[in-house]
Amino acid sequence: MKKIFYVLTAVSLMGSCTVQKPLYTWDNYEVTSYNYVKNSDEKSTQALIETYRKIIEYQKGSRGVVPPGVYADYGFVLLQKDKTEEGRAMLLKEVNLYPESKTFIDRILKIIEK
Amino acid sequence: MKKFYFLAVIVVVFLSGCTTTTTPVKRSVAYKKMYDEKPLTILLMPPINRSTNVEAKDFFHSTLNVPIANAGYYVIPTFLSMEILKNESAYDTELFIDNPLDKFRNIFGADLALFTIIHKWDKSSLAAQVYVQVEYIIKSTKTNEVVFKRTGDIYYNASVSTGLGGGLGALADLALSAVNTAATQYVDVARACNKYTFSVLPAGKYSPLYETDTDLPAGNESFKVKLDSNY
Repeated sequence: MKKIFYVLTAVSLMGSCTVQKPLYTWDNYEVTSYNYVKNSDEKSTQALIETYRKIIEYQKGSRGVVPPGVYADYGFVLLQKDKTEEGRAMLLKEVNLYPESKTFIDRILKIIEK
Repeated sequence: MKKFYFLAVIVVVFLSGCTTTTTPVKRSVAYKKMYDEKPLTILLMPPINRSTNVEAKDFFHSTLNVPIANAGYYVIPTFLSMEILKNESAYDTELFIDNPLDKFRNIFGADLALFTIIHKWDKSSLAAQVYVQVEYIIKSTKTNEVVFKRTGDIYYNASVSTGLGGGLGALADLALSAVNTAATQYVDVARACNKYTFSVLPAGKYSPLYETDTDLPAGNESFKVKLDSNY
């Protein structure tokens, strides 16, 4: 009986160490964004776009919303690929979800229009 | 009585497994200015690389936003900010670390700017180990004051385990370590450094812990830690 008590104590203490669910999930964003910075070729760009798509569609974070910057950088990558309308739509989604982004999103839209 | 001591020891062992610091300074004390200013948006300045590994900069730049966004902040998107910084001829972080930051407040609406200085990035040739010394400084764009600062001596064990154990397990581990390409592994080194350092960052506005984490330990300003891919 006492053994059970020890085990339960140990388990409950270990339980207190577990990290709670993160605010956002990011798929393998860190690796694909690194590869994109490093190579900027078609393959790495496609992989990054795929990552953004998964972060958006399969978001499992505790907030249940797309993480900050994902719509914006996704939009930016699309703009680089001359997908202007799609890219612009993503940038606007960022402003909708995170109004604090308006300052620099407006700026990037101006740069694009140049 | 003996059993009581035994249990007490077990309790202490498990508790120590959770703590990240030996001197429990509270976050409200260590990061008082952050709690006072209530920042929301943070700009990641391109890391300053003083190490001998030219690639270290990109390893860090790609992995900074996840732990900070997950702490509850609005992290200004990396690729967009790089483009704007280039456009503003503000890409050289060294020029800004000791200078007023109001420019970034105006351009990005940033409340904070993060400076990351990679001092050392050394691979040991024998063991699969990487030693990184990295300094993180967060400054307020309003007051130009340092609001968060930590320097880590981080030893990262890059060997990968399949968790199989035994002779066959060891062989499988070896094969897996070889498959795990160098670049992916090094991205993970930077990821672990960033995650560990910012695990004590005061919770931001998007976190349920916002303004309720003041009594949690702040962690040491200078720390030494061993990490691996499981962290």
